Amino acid sequence: MSDVVERTLTALPSLLSSDPSPGRPSSTSKLGTLIRGITELTSKHDEEKLIQRELVSIKEQVSSPNTTMRQMKELMVRAVYCEMLGYEASFSYIHAIKLAQQGTALDKRVGYLAVSLFLNESHELLLLLVNTVLKDLQSTNLIEVCMALTVVGQVFPKDMIPAILPMVEEKLNHPKEIIRRKAVLALYKFYLIAPNQVQHIHSKFRKALCDKDPGVMSASLHIYLEMVTEKPEGYKDLVVSFVTILKQVVGGKLPIDFNYHSVPAPWLQIQLLRILSLLGKNDRSTSEMMYEVLDESLRRAEMNHNITYAILFECVKTIYTIHPKAELLEKAAKCIGNFVLSPKINLKYLGLKALTYVVQQDANLALQHQMTIIECLDHSDLIIKRETLELLFRITNGQNVKVIVEKLLEFLRHSKDDYVTIDLGGKVTELAEKYPSEMI
Amino acid sequence: MRFMLLFSRQGKLRLQKWYVPLGDQEKRRLGRELVQTILGRKAKMCSFLEWRDLKVVYKRYASLYFCCAIEEQDNELITLEVIHRYVELLDKYFGSVCELDIIFNFEKAYFILDEFLLGGEAQETSKKSVLKAIEQADQLQENIDFQMRLFPAPS
Repeated sequence: MSDVVERTLTALPSLLSSDPSPGRPSSTSKLGTLIRGITELTSKHDEEKLIQRELVSIKEQVSSPNTTMRQMKELMVRAVYCEMLGYEASFSYIHAIKLAQQGTALDKRVGYLAVSLFLNESHELLLLLVNTVLKDLQSTNLIEVCMALTVVGQVFPKDMIPAILPMVEEKLNHPKEIIRRKAVLALYKFYLIAPNQVQHIHSKFRKALCDKDPGVMSASLHIYLEMVTEKPEGYKDLVVSFVTILKQVVGGKLPIDFNYHSVPAPWLQIQLLRILSLLGKNDRSTSEMMYEVLDESLRRAEMNHNITYAILFECVKTIYTIHPKAELLEKAAKCIGNFVLSPKINLKYLGLKALTYVVQQDANLALQHQMTIIECLDHSDLIIKRETLELLFRITNGQNVKVIVEKLLEFLRHSKDDYVTIDLGGKVTELAEKYPSEMI
Repeated sequence: MRFMLLFSRQGKLRLQKWYVPLGDQEKRRLGRELVQTILGRKAKMCSFLEWRDLKVVYKRYASLYFCCAIEEQDNELITLEVIHRYVELLDKYFGSVCELDIIFNFEKAYFILDEFLLGGEAQETSKKSVLKAIEQADQLQENIDFQMRLFPAPS
């Protein structure tokens, strides 16, 4: 802690001095003044007064014709800050759009950022942005293209998708991988808000899946996860590709850049595991294609880092969702055991969650760990307690229902959260209906 | 991901990014209540929370809380790593980042967040390429600044 204090103290003099560092526009000091002003105040009322004064001053300056784009950028940053603190600054929205339109480089960037923070998809002002985005997508300056694609991937009015779709599609073939990646993500966003508009370009997604750049390929996985969730039968032919990709990732064939703490591309692995679990569900032949790579993933993820636990957890979930295979189930059960017994509280929570998930298929597993479960019932962390109760609810039978209901009621008595009360109350009623005789 | 919030130990918001469309009032209310709930938790407690109908993952780095609300089917542990990766990116960019860097340069923090988490999904891009993209944009700005100093616009 003292290290942070020391760094803060050394940084303060340069921040408080009024001459800006060379190359940096002096405008940032105005934001600094505002922030420092707010931190000095102690009451909410004073803060309100200061911000209102600030907003009035910003309003004046944005409406004046003499304001340069550079100054406008700085005003937008301050407006974003005020909105973040909870004060309304809707007069600045239109100026943010103008800034994105007329500014260059950093000014444009801040303009786009302000737009994505101020507006949401249904806002009518967003339509004004469409022309700017169209223009920037055609710009020879790649950074402007990137900015446009970034904003398209975040907020874009649904009705204007047809206008921009061809241009985004074109970017899928761009030589630069960052642009291809952002184009895929923009299409993903379109798919989420208007799936029928992008039906015709499924073949292009396949091309993205086979792209030589792992970044583009993993971007396409987001779309595939959505499509597979909706209709798994349509993508069974891709199982081989997904399995191959996962094999390559787990085997360390990706460039070393993509390693996260010596684990290869963890997010990619998890996406693939999820897709595979959806494809293998209730389908024996498809599941058989995956056993080998799942085994490999389990083996490789043996190290002791949070990220490997994340992959293990996802692996375990996948193994239990697809068509069962004895050896894999055994290994997965062992994994869950390790989680539940772990002293690390986060892992315990996940172990309990995993147990809840698998208990329908394998009630024995819960029995094996019943001592730990009973301990968790009295844990000081309410979240763990609640998760344990969820688990108990699943393993209720004629013999233990009375004890379990007692524990549930006890928890309910102390619970202050409405949602929890409703949820658990519902469970108690359910049990009462199922085992009426025992309840007496 | 539904949204990400960064806030100080006093509950002051430093950054907020929403990936779902919600009204302003709603956002403010949600943000305030969630911040209070998390600040009320003790140090040794679980990093995961089921709050209202959301799954929330949070972690404290020095004086800043990083908090994400995720979808029902998302993996909690991987979200913790998303937070960690974001902190690593900030650290690399600002050089040993501290809360003050994020406060006074929050728009840069947003740029980095947007490169890494587009539309609420973590991009599997190498740390190098995320930072390179930001650097290139910064470089472009510096070039323009330099030009403007050599040839100031006529007033």
